[in-house]
Amino acid sequence: MGGLAVLGQQADPAAKAVPAADAPNGALTIGGVIALTGNANLYGQDQRLGISLAREWAGSRRRQPGEPPLRPLHFQLQDGGSDEATAIAGFNLLIRQGVLALIGPTLSQQAFAADPIAQRRGVPVVAPSNTAKGIPQIGPFISRVSAQSSVIAPLSISEALRRDPRIRRVAVFYSQDDAFSTSETAIFQRTLRARGLTPVSVQRTQLADNDFQIPITAALQADPQLVVISIQAVGGGNLVRQLRELGYRGAIVVGNGMNTPNIYPICQRWCDGILIAQAYSPELDTPVNRTFRNLLRGSSPDRSPSQITAQAFTAYQVLFEAVQRLQRRGGLENVNLGQARKALMEELLAGQYDTPLGPIRFTPDGELVQGQFYVAQVRMDPGGRSGRFALVRETGVSGGAGGSASPPAR
Amino acid sequence: MDPALLVQMLIGALLGISVYLPLATGQLTLATPAFYAVGGTLAALLSTRWPVLGARIDGSFPLPSFLLELALGGALAGLLALLVGRIVLRLQGIYLAIATIALVEIVRVAILNLPFTGGAVGIFGIPQPFPSAAGYLLPALALLLLAGWVCQRLEVMALGRAMAAVREDELAARCMGIDTTQVKLTAFVMSAVLAGGTGVLAAHFLNTWNARQGSFDSAVIMLAFVILGGSRSWLGPVLGGLVLTALPELLRPVGDARLVLFGLVILSGPALFPQGLVTPGLLERLGRLGDPAGRPGAEGSRP
Amino acid sequence: MIEALLQTLLNGAASGGVYALVALGYTLVFSVLGVINFALGALFSLGGYLTYLLMGGRISANGGLPGWGLPQGLSFTPALLLAALLTGLVSLVVERLAFAPLRRRRAEPLLYLITSLGAGLVLVNLLQMLMGAEGYAFPATALAGLPDALQVAGARIRSVQVLLLAVCAAAVIVLTLWLERSRSGRALKAVAEDATTARLLGIDSGAMLRLAFLLSGALAGLGGGLIGVSISLPGPYMGISYGLKGLAVLVLGGLGSVPGAIAGGLLMGLAEALVPGDASGWRDALAFAILFLVLLLRPSGLLGRRQVEKV
Repeated sequence: MGGLAVLGQQADPAAKAVPAADAPNGALTIGGVIALTGNANLYGQDQRLGISLAREWAGSRRRQPGEPPLRPLHFQLQDGGSDEATAIAGFNLLIRQGVLALIGPTLSQQAFAADPIAQRRGVPVVAPSNTAKGIPQIGPFISRVSAQSSVIAPLSISEALRRDPRIRRVAVFYSQDDAFSTSETAIFQRTLRARGLTPVSVQRTQLADNDFQIPITAALQADPQLVVISIQAVGGGNLVRQLRELGYRGAIVVGNGMNTPNIYPICQRWCDGILIAQAYSPELDTPVNRTFRNLLRGSSPDRSPSQITAQAFTAYQVLFEAVQRLQRRGGLENVNLGQARKALMEELLAGQYDTPLGPIRFTPDGELVQGQFYVAQVRMDPGGRSGRFALVRETGVSGGAGGSASPPAR
Repeated sequence: MDPALLVQMLIGALLGISVYLPLATGQLTLATPAFYAVGGTLAALLSTRWPVLGARIDGSFPLPSFLLELALGGALAGLLALLVGRIVLRLQGIYLAIATIALVEIVRVAILNLPFTGGAVGIFGIPQPFPSAAGYLLPALALLLLAGWVCQRLEVMALGRAMAAVREDELAARCMGIDTTQVKLTAFVMSAVLAGGTGVLAAHFLNTWNARQGSFDSAVIMLAFVILGGSRSWLGPVLGGLVLTALPELLRPVGDARLVLFGLVILSGPALFPQGLVTPGLLERLGRLGDPAGRPGAEGSRP
Repeated sequence: MIEALLQTLLNGAASGGVYALVALGYTLVFSVLGVINFALGALFSLGGYLTYLLMGGRISANGGLPGWGLPQGLSFTPALLLAALLTGLVSLVVERLAFAPLRRRRAEPLLYLITSLGAGLVLVNLLQMLMGAEGYAFPATALAGLPDALQVAGARIRSVQVLLLAVCAAAVIVLTLWLERSRSGRALKAVAEDATTARLLGIDSGAMLRLAFLLSGALAGLGGGLIGVSISLPGPYMGISYGLKGLAVLVLGGLGSVPGAIAGGLLMGLAEALVPGDASGWRDALAFAILFLVLLLRPSGLLGRRQVEKV
């Protein structure tokens, strides 16, 4: 056991001194652990893109006159796979390499496995896409920029009921083996009950399902006027399309998992008119969101901005800004890596950020406080191959972190 | 090397032995992930929901409770194997393999649907009996040594010889008066006990547990541990489990192509080493090294 | 009541047809070689992607090849058939790499499970690298002229599902006729029943084996292309769950039995369609629970030959 303890200490670079900002080796490293393999790769690719755009954005930042030099940041990316063990390995690898902070992992289930490791080693983590209840509560070093749909999910239901107050019969679909969808549907169903609506049909599907003939025909027998869906992008796109093909004409509200342009090619013209609550709206007209969209257009002209990409951008952005604030205050001088990590975490939680998601800040335990949420309606082009999320409502949420409702998990 | 990776490798080795044990009686069962999932779920439930075990608010967990869980996890998995084994072990060859895959899927769906296992998110915040990943090396190594010692003892025990006889020719073994059903069942239960205990260890090590642990894919990868390592001795699955668990991590510098390379290794391994890395020839040489008098072997005491 | 029953039957047939197709892919190889080809699910995915590419679909390969695609796309039917043929050829490559080296050494059949799993891993991860993880959908013109859905006595089914079922049925009939009537088909059956006698009759068993792999891959490719046009391409893993279900169907019907694979597929589809909505979370377990029960009552599957298969 003594030998093992020595092994552990040698592997821990926390005691190493942080170099001066203008030293030749003055760059500090941010680590990223996201899904580059496995079936969460769909999100991982969007996250890789978002972080690379944020690095481009950070690279173009100029030192203001009279300020100390900016602290250069490196970025080190590791595959977190789509399982718990690979995410743990990625975290350990990067922590041993002496990263200042970590972005990731992609899935909430992975976060529950890997975040406690960063917490024990005192390494700040910003989760770009974990929305399960209890993620920031893993410890003081864990925070997230992924929105709490406990606040946003009910908005789209309200919008649907506002448009047609006569709706009485609601059918609910969700994929029961997906952390995000199961918690989101709980919020959807609670909202419905609060409005006096009991679902006439609840259909459970699997993440790998894409053929919904059976659940759809079962649900349609109950003759619903509103269908509420919590399924991830591709499966959800298929469900919407098949619902319409099988003759459903009523309103459709979809969950946050479908807030990605990836659904357009899947459900094509059948997407038209569905309502969605968003944590990120591409139509938000602020300088930083315009910059984000321009950078995206420059690097990947064929991709439209998605929530996952914007959240990953935001994760890097908040870390970058917190590091520079800390640098300006002299908090990175004469400290070792462990102290710098702790100081960074405090700085991160104390700040306010103007991001593509809108203005955000954190609660003291690392939970996201996002000021603005959006309800959009999908408007497809006549060709049915592409479309846009047309903003129909922008809702300011004052101060609250979501109150007692539990946020869904991706 | 990273202690956490070492622990994962040891878990791979333990699961390899679990697949190997029934195979040592000639039975291809892929039920190990099901028992692994049962053990892990039990540990996750007990340590987070049962205050008697003494999980503390700072996330630590008393070592005796952890050991108790190991025993309980093994026992529950073994009990389940005793019930299921009587039924499935009547099946032969690929039918047995597929029936056990069916068991894995049924257990996975059950863990997903049961009201107290946390659904898709699973159970998280599992308390820690050790302050760091390195702490898990000791129980994992101890479990592996225990399993290895049992396997090694089997070679000189009547049960082990009966297992070998059933593997070579079940009909002949029955004619020799061996209760083949009992022998197969015993191996199946031992395999389950080991898998259940390993699940308990893994649940604490991973900090969290959900229905995705223990799936069809993992069943076949575990079989690969045995086949690539060598199925003639327990050392084979140990080596296979260690190497194949480490390989995707060691291939990280390759980047996005690392799983393609991992697949190529699995694809070409059996052709390059048809008897596995630990071949009978190698074992013989090892045996001569370790025991100058020669191993007490087949000529020992036939009934 | 009649309406609900008819709907259930339609639902069951729609998913059962695909299961049967996958199970047939397994059956062809199993009947000749006595082993299961775990790479079949990956070949199923490949068939979907190839059909998509041949129709002129664009890929982006995770941003690596934005908007890349063939300059000229085929229409759906030739693209599907060509993709099935190409998948069959890849299946031959899988045979060459994963099966032939072991066969030459007369290795334990157990090893084939591992090598074919490796081949499947390579295929799926190559697809993910080359095609990207994002979902792709076929052009809306793929099924131009068909209505969205058909209505039969109050029961509804999507047209593409009817097409799927029809193609599956046609493939099964052609395959059965070919096995029964044609020279090469009968030769394949002969090798499947008794390789030694077949060799004495002058049948080249190696060639028959390759034929079985070619056909098995082509069936998987056909299934992948058809499913792709029905549900789009959700990612390189799309074939894996069909591969797993197909495996259950294969054993349910009885290993190596062509009618067994078809009956097993339809039975499995029907059983899934019968699960009530409230219990839909247990649907995947039901398929395997049925398999479990059938195996206990009939240890060689529903229509399997009663014999001990050594794996």
